Amino acid sequence: MEQDVLLRMVDISKSFPGVKALDKVSLEVKKGTVHALMGENGAGKSTLMKCLFGIYSKDEGHIYLNGKEINFKSSREALDNGVAMVHQELNQALKRNVMDNIWLGRYPKIGGIAVNEKKMYDDTMAVFRELGIDVDPKRIMSTMPVSQRQMVEIAKAVSYNSKVIVFDEPTSSLTEEEVEHLFQIINMLRDRGVGIIYISHKMAEIKRISDYITVMRDGQWIATEPADKLEMSDIIRLMVGRELTNQYPPKTNKPGEVYLEVKHLSGTYNQLQDVSFCARRGEVLGLAGLDSSGRTETLESIFGIRTRKSGKIYLDGREIRNHSAGESIKNGFALLTEERRSTGIFSILNIRDNTVISSLKRHKKFGVYLSEKSQREDTQRYIDAMHTKTPSQETKIRSLSGGNQQKVIIGRWLLTEPDVLLLDEPTRGIDVGAKYEIYQLILDLANQGKTVIMVSSEMPELLGVCDRIVVMSGGRVAGEVDARNTTQEEIMTLAAKYV
Amino acid sequence: MKKLIAITLAVLMVFGMAACANSGSSDGKTKVSVFWYDAKDIYLGTVRAALNKELEKLGFEYDTQDAAADQATQMEQIKTAISGGSNMLIVNVVTSGAEGTAKDILKLAGDIPVIFFNRAIGNDGKDEAVLNEFKNSCFIGTDAPEAGHLQGKMVGEYVVANYDTLDLNKDGKISYVMFKGQEGNAEAIFRTQYGVEDANKVLKENGKSELVYFDPEAKTNYQVDQNGQWSADAAKQYMETNLISFNEANNNMIELVICNNDGMAEGAIAALQAAGYNKKDSAHTIPVFGVDATDNAKKLISDGAMTGTVKQDAEGMASAIAQTAKNISEGKTPVEALAAVKGEIFSIAKSCASKLYVAYAPYTGK
Amino acid sequence: MINPVKNIQRSAQEYKLLDAKDKKRYWMDGILNNALYILMAIFVICTAILRPRFLTLDSLGNLISQVAAYLPLALGIGGCIVLTGTDLSAGRVTGLTAAISAVLLQESGLSNKMFNSLPAVNPGMIFLALLAVAAIGALIGMVNGFFVAKFSLHPFIVTLATQLLTTGVILWFFDLNGNNGQPISGQDQMYKDFVGGELFRMGRTPIPMYVLYAILLTALMWFIWNKTTFGKNMFAVGSNTEAARVSGVNVFWTIVLVHTLAGAMYGYAGFIDGVRAGSVSSVSGMNAECDAIAACVIGGVSFVGGTGKISGIVLGVLILRIIFVALTMLGVSPAALYIIKGAIILCACSLDMRKYLVKK
Repeated sequence: MEQDVLLRMVDISKSFPGVKALDKVSLEVKKGTVHALMGENGAGKSTLMKCLFGIYSKDEGHIYLNGKEINFKSSREALDNGVAMVHQELNQALKRNVMDNIWLGRYPKIGGIAVNEKKMYDDTMAVFRELGIDVDPKRIMSTMPVSQRQMVEIAKAVSYNSKVIVFDEPTSSLTEEEVEHLFQIINMLRDRGVGIIYISHKMAEIKRISDYITVMRDGQWIATEPADKLEMSDIIRLMVGRELTNQYPPKTNKPGEVYLEVKHLSGTYNQLQDVSFCARRGEVLGLAGLDSSGRTETLESIFGIRTRKSGKIYLDGREIRNHSAGESIKNGFALLTEERRSTGIFSILNIRDNTVISSLKRHKKFGVYLSEKSQREDTQRYIDAMHTKTPSQETKIRSLSGGNQQKVIIGRWLLTEPDVLLLDEPTRGIDVGAKYEIYQLILDLANQGKTVIMVSSEMPELLGVCDRIVVMSGGRVAGEVDARNTTQEEIMTLAAKYV
Repeated sequence: MKKLIAITLAVLMVFGMAACANSGSSDGKTKVSVFWYDAKDIYLGTVRAALNKELEKLGFEYDTQDAAADQATQMEQIKTAISGGSNMLIVNVVTSGAEGTAKDILKLAGDIPVIFFNRAIGNDGKDEAVLNEFKNSCFIGTDAPEAGHLQGKMVGEYVVANYDTLDLNKDGKISYVMFKGQEGNAEAIFRTQYGVEDANKVLKENGKSELVYFDPEAKTNYQVDQNGQWSADAAKQYMETNLISFNEANNNMIELVICNNDGMAEGAIAALQAAGYNKKDSAHTIPVFGVDATDNAKKLISDGAMTGTVKQDAEGMASAIAQTAKNISEGKTPVEALAAVKGEIFSIAKSCASKLYVAYAPYTGK
Repeated sequence: MINPVKNIQRSAQEYKLLDAKDKKRYWMDGILNNALYILMAIFVICTAILRPRFLTLDSLGNLISQVAAYLPLALGIGGCIVLTGTDLSAGRVTGLTAAISAVLLQESGLSNKMFNSLPAVNPGMIFLALLAVAAIGALIGMVNGFFVAKFSLHPFIVTLATQLLTTGVILWFFDLNGNNGQPISGQDQMYKDFVGGELFRMGRTPIPMYVLYAILLTALMWFIWNKTTFGKNMFAVGSNTEAARVSGVNVFWTIVLVHTLAGAMYGYAGFIDGVRAGSVSSVSGMNAECDAIAACVIGGVSFVGGTGKISGIVLGVLILRIIFVALTMLGVSPAALYIIKGAIILCACSLDMRKYLVKK
């Protein structure tokens, strides 16, 4: 059996000043298996992988690939040796085309100088055909949805003939259909004898795809078991160290009268077409649909950061303009964006600055002066209320985990005292425990009579939290369902209506 | 590794600075600070080399500062030198042609003697007012109009002697271009004016028609270095542009080039040579005149690419400054110090006893 | 909340917990993170040994007045750098406003006064001139900001353009009224006293009035950067423009205002420069932005955007002026001066950048 082990990481430790991020963690990946790595945010999964790829230098421990000890200095070196990673936050040259990204750093050459574009194209097509990916190799990355960009990343790993491929949260931005495609590819890779490390928060996926499961918690190895020996509840228990019976808090909110009405909304520079729906006070309204069905565009059009061609928005029966974010905030709107890193956080600024930026007028004294004390109080209030884990308010937000960053941004919006919250994928990349807290928060807000509109690609989440679900397809509203008595199948059928 | 590099850099930096410093300092002796308007100036580079040699020979402790053509920088350098214990200032002012600057420098200096040189310090080149007001100051330079007069005469005589060869389009007139070193600089103004006026005088006496500016549409009869740096580059660019519309094919070729200094003459020649003129095998050589007689200009003249220049005696200038400094350090007043400067090419200005002229001389390589 | 004593105690405790290797790293990092200041200390000590006068009151007074003279430009440009931009027009705007204030406040009865019709200078006129040049600077800044914000042009391009435009205006201005490009001098004594008058003396060096103004200006800028909505918005836009837009920050006005404020600072700098060099010529202020940008960057205002402190800018200007004064006193040759200055900027910024790099 020993020769079946592709990758062996033994007793890896890594500490940062003041924190022991990894404490003697071991992991074995066998040939032709999918090995799931699970744990809450901050459990050390990413750190472990970064040690593997030489992004961090490990303090202790050994890594063996095919029985030979290795110590990669960079991800490039790892890639050359057949160890690849498909990142959660894709780092790609967005202004370049697909094949440039795949062959970056090892362009095929003609006579050692000129880049052989034709070979690059053909080789790319060959890999795509093999994986069943339908993307033009000459397309510019920035024009493609995240899901396709991810496929490119996978193709790149395959093109290196990788023996070990790490998938870090690969489905967080994929629709159900795309997930199916991804799983087909993973199964194919497994059949070819590739060892796969699969990092995800999504229980259902893990159960479906993986052969082994390793659970980590607080930088320590907790358990490694064959996947079929573990029940979902076992995994959760191992991950959080306690029982977590309900994934969703009980629904206690009571939708009231109609508060927000969107009528015949169409976009100038996007595919939105005649989108109409309404949302009530105290209601959680879900927006379902495939990737690029116009859900994000709908939220952003309502918030005034995308140009509307036509359509009207009524708040409490009055028509409102919402032509800019500032105006929308004044009208009591708040928007939690999908891409946290590019449109959510100010990575270089600290927690406090990130928290108060949208509600600075609360702190004004004498017309101009901003009170430090009240900013500090507001920030602390929301750090406490959201259980944000941070050493101090002065900590730069980029050093927090994704879930904690999300909490800071939600805190930012709650400080504007909004009546309508537009949440775009509020739980993306967030661990189970934190997800529950965010669901609870959403329901609390609804209980206070606020209107919540939430976009999510995770169907169970919509069914668990929302009252009604509007399903979008191809930029149009495909239908509306009652969350209590609908099924995933019904929603999927609607989502495919105008595709 | 990174840290090693960082530390090496850091250590090198400190040692570098220590090594660059002139060693040793003792109070009580005369400590001279020399302030140059711009280390990039070609003629002044010759003066600087000569002056450094002279000051060393005379045993002065001295340092030199470069203002890089910024008067504010020079002001700070002077303040710093004074607070650093300098007790004689030799100043080549940046802003020439406005007496406010010189006055402010002299106020800063207080009792410390200040020798101005080369660049005029008064309004419109009238340095007397300042020099008379401040008795601790003197000026060593050239009689600004003289260079212009000499250049004009040289140009005139050359044109008269070669009229027909020069008149390429045979229209009976010689078209010229004038390159001015700097707007508002007294020397530049005089050279620009007399370089043409005096040439015309000679032409008239010989019954020839006056020089014509090459571009009939132009608002001014000169092209000026907009950065005020008397640079070869500026002249070269102007000349290249001019040659596009003014050439033999259009029958309106520029037939004469007059420049405020040799640097600009070099630039003009470079442009002419690129267009096929002023080379050993060229059909025509367009006469180019400069001022300063720099080493490069002398070489160009001996090669036949340049026609004439006015020698501004760099060594003489340096010698006069050094002698004056020496005399002052021995207790003479600036007026006495200037009077005691020895040399044929030096003369005290008629208008003012604290102003010394270094004579110009025409130079055509013969 | 912030208790320095407790902080130190906690750091000391943390330090005790480190092992030998980590302790070595701790000191190494400490040295490298503060390398700039350690280097400056060594540099000052070296200079002081070679030139004892470097550390006298006279010299210190000179240093202070220099810092005060170069600070306004750096304070203005700092905001542009926080926005990940830059401003190449700073020096020329200073030159233009210096010329304008010099002309407005020329002595009456001067033979070569540019505008004879201007009334004799009185205190009101000095304030008016100050306001006027600040407004002119602000206007040019506003043009910069408008093009940057409206058309998403890189500030490098926009300010390069305004630099040229301003140079054109300067040349035209110097030709007005038969001035023929002559430098402008003969500024009224009242104006000279207002700017350069003696505040008090340090040793034999008089401290000019503009040191006081520089202190007030620094305080004002600190307030704007740290205590106003505008300041917070500026950092937000510099850190992540898109996130700022979503958060309801008016990105357009923030960019325009940052540049406008910078322009007003250049205007003020011009007002000071109108007196400082005794005369103003058409090349005054040329390339002054280089020193200002260098000072900001040395002081930790990063081109990465969203970071920077007023104290850093003051420190950056101070460091540059220390270098200038020390090298002047040491009497290094012009060639060496450029080399050293370049090397220092490179070293200082590389060492400083270490702090912002993510440790691996």
